Amino acid sequence: MKVIIIGGGWSGCAAAISSKKAGADVTVIEKTDLLLGLGNVGGIMRNNGRFTASEELIALGCGDLIEITDRISTHRNIDFPGHKHATLYNVNMIEGEVSKYLKSLGINLLMESRVNDINFDGQKIKGVYLSDGTYIDGDVFIETTGTTGPMGNCLRYGNGCSMCVLRCPSFGPRISISERCGVSDIQGERGDDILGAFSGSCKLAKESLSDEIRNELNSKGVVILKIPQEDINYDKLSTKVCQQYALKEFAENIILLDTGHAKLMTTYYPLYKLRKIKGLENAKYVDPYAGSKGNSIRYLSVAPRTNDLKVTGVDNLFCAGEKSGLFVGHTEAICTGTLAGHNAVKLAMGMPLLILPSSIAIGDIITFANESSLTREGRKARYTFAGSVYFDRMQALSLYTTDIDEIKKRIQKVNLDNIFNQKIC
Amino acid sequence: MVKEAIDCIDAGTEYCPCKLAEYGQCLICSQCQGQVFCDCLNWKGVCIYQELHNNGYKAKEGRKTFDCNVEEVINYNNNLIIIKFKAPHKLVLDLVKPGSYIFIRTDDNHYFDIPISIMNSDIENDIISIAVEIRGIKTAKLLDTKANENIVIRGPYWNGVFGIKNILAQNNSKALILARGIGLAPMMPVIRKLLSQNNELNAVLDKDPFNINFATELLDKYKIKTSENSLLYKGQLSDHAKVIIKDALEDGVTFIHIAGADILTYYVINYLNEINRNDVALSCCNNFKMCCGEGICGACTSRFSGHRVKRFCKEQADPRNIFEGRRFI
Repeated sequence: MKVIIIGGGWSGCAAAISSKKAGADVTVIEKTDLLLGLGNVGGIMRNNGRFTASEELIALGCGDLIEITDRISTHRNIDFPGHKHATLYNVNMIEGEVSKYLKSLGINLLMESRVNDINFDGQKIKGVYLSDGTYIDGDVFIETTGTTGPMGNCLRYGNGCSMCVLRCPSFGPRISISERCGVSDIQGERGDDILGAFSGSCKLAKESLSDEIRNELNSKGVVILKIPQEDINYDKLSTKVCQQYALKEFAENIILLDTGHAKLMTTYYPLYKLRKIKGLENAKYVDPYAGSKGNSIRYLSVAPRTNDLKVTGVDNLFCAGEKSGLFVGHTEAICTGTLAGHNAVKLAMGMPLLILPSSIAIGDIITFANESSLTREGRKARYTFAGSVYFDRMQALSLYTTDIDEIKKRIQKVNLDNIFNQKIC
Repeated sequence: MVKEAIDCIDAGTEYCPCKLAEYGQCLICSQCQGQVFCDCLNWKGVCIYQELHNNGYKAKEGRKTFDCNVEEVINYNNNLIIIKFKAPHKLVLDLVKPGSYIFIRTDDNHYFDIPISIMNSDIENDIISIAVEIRGIKTAKLLDTKANENIVIRGPYWNGVFGIKNILAQNNSKALILARGIGLAPMMPVIRKLLSQNNELNAVLDKDPFNINFATELLDKYKIKTSENSLLYKGQLSDHAKVIIKDALEDGVTFIHIAGADILTYYVINYLNEINRNDVALSCCNNFKMCCGEGICGACTSRFSGHRVKRFCKEQADPRNIFEGRRFI
């Protein structure tokens, strides 16, 4: 039973692990030379409701990736405006660890391999073509190509290619597998009738910061600097992907987090303005390289799907990560990826697909994001355990807790403990 | 449901984006076809939409004309003329690849522009050689060409050969070349490329309708195995040709370049079909009539099943795809 995963980001890796655990022969096709995609520049885990979701994943039997991000974290249990008990992993260490782990499970990784077309018979995908003409067939396909780029989209809906970690100009464009099957994509919207949203953070080289800031960052994990009054721009918050970070504090301050680089919690920021701030006189961007000008544009390619993460209209295609909804974050990608991988194997075995109940946060966010995407207002919102509308909902429904035993009990109560660890074929 | 990935010979070159992109009819880029999202099925290494944006949503300047000094003219009984002329180094470099061609301007009236394949592009001496069969009103004007005078050319253009992908894929293998008549001229850059990729070549030449082999001088330089044989007999593939193909395939040839009229290409494809050898990779001359070379005038268009119109001055294709599904409308 062959599962083909297109896209090796966090959700693709999670899908690979869960489908491998379920017993499938798994291949991940990744266009760049690195797994994890935007995970190579992210780094924030376990903040706010993500803590609950992470522990739910562990209880469900697929906490492998959470364990890795915990292990290589540089800071644990830190707070910054609007966010509590965050773990920051080192973005410069994570990819090697995950790649090694996937290989140790016997997952086949096709790196620098870009899918550029599919063989679709109207109901099922038979196989995919790589840009070098290679044909790869499979039984079930999982699309985790994300919703970011390529260059043309970042230009039409943003400020052009800002040279982000996806490196489309070098490795080539993403194509939408579901759209190729004739299933129209859904687009996220932002306030002013424009589609898509800017990625929410940049990275500065730590070496380019003053000793004082660097030392504070290394010891505390977070540094907050005042933005000069004339440069404060509240409007920019609305263009942002990460609504959990679209708070007043993030417009009035430069918030730096230590993720190996200095993570700058803003979409983009002209370098000359940044350098006006004390301690940042020599600041230099390392992601995106053109962080002065713009950032990658996301949410242009979400597939319509059911709550078991199967793409509507294609018999053997699942989706996860941003492709499966207007989700923000690694944890959200890992959660959806894990479910998609598990269900891909169930589908191939002719078993009923798993829909996670709304009594746990992971099940609830998948269902809630799906319902919300039907309305225009819903398409303007982003869904994350870490803040914005969904964290409000988590708190209102008492889904948010940091009590690990309580989380275990909730999973046991619905008989799903260790479900993702069970071999089904 | 598989959308045919269209390949444009000019994509990503200094002449891209062209007028087609400016007017929303780019062959490749969905964003330059009036759509609002990327669907980049045949990425050529650059974002055409971004290039168009950076150029103020206008096409790049396009090809220039050059006045070139004629070095030598060889006239074979007013049937065939070989012209060697000096050209700027950059242009000579651009015209080295298989399939390169130029337009020769013989009159103020641009209707008279003649598309002519490059026979040889000598990058050491900056000399370009072309061979022209004198057929009609446009080519007849070239008989007046004299050494040490100027000719005006427009270029470079590149889509003179179909199956360029297949040529580029041949490395350290064996190839057969079937050439006939004026097809010997565009065959030369193909031979040069195949040799540079360390292939073993066997060229079978049919000089008809000429009584001399005008490519001898160049072929001698390359030291490849050549033989002369008739490839067509009464409008059909000759028995000789069939034997040559069969023997070559038995000898391990996996690629054939056909440098002749469409009828030759067509019958070779049919013959390979008959003997169940559709695995053999092919390249051939692009014999569509060119007039502007820029995808605008429509002279080179052909219609295919599914209401597809292909502009063959720009669109690369596999030789097998230029006949399949072609409509006579």
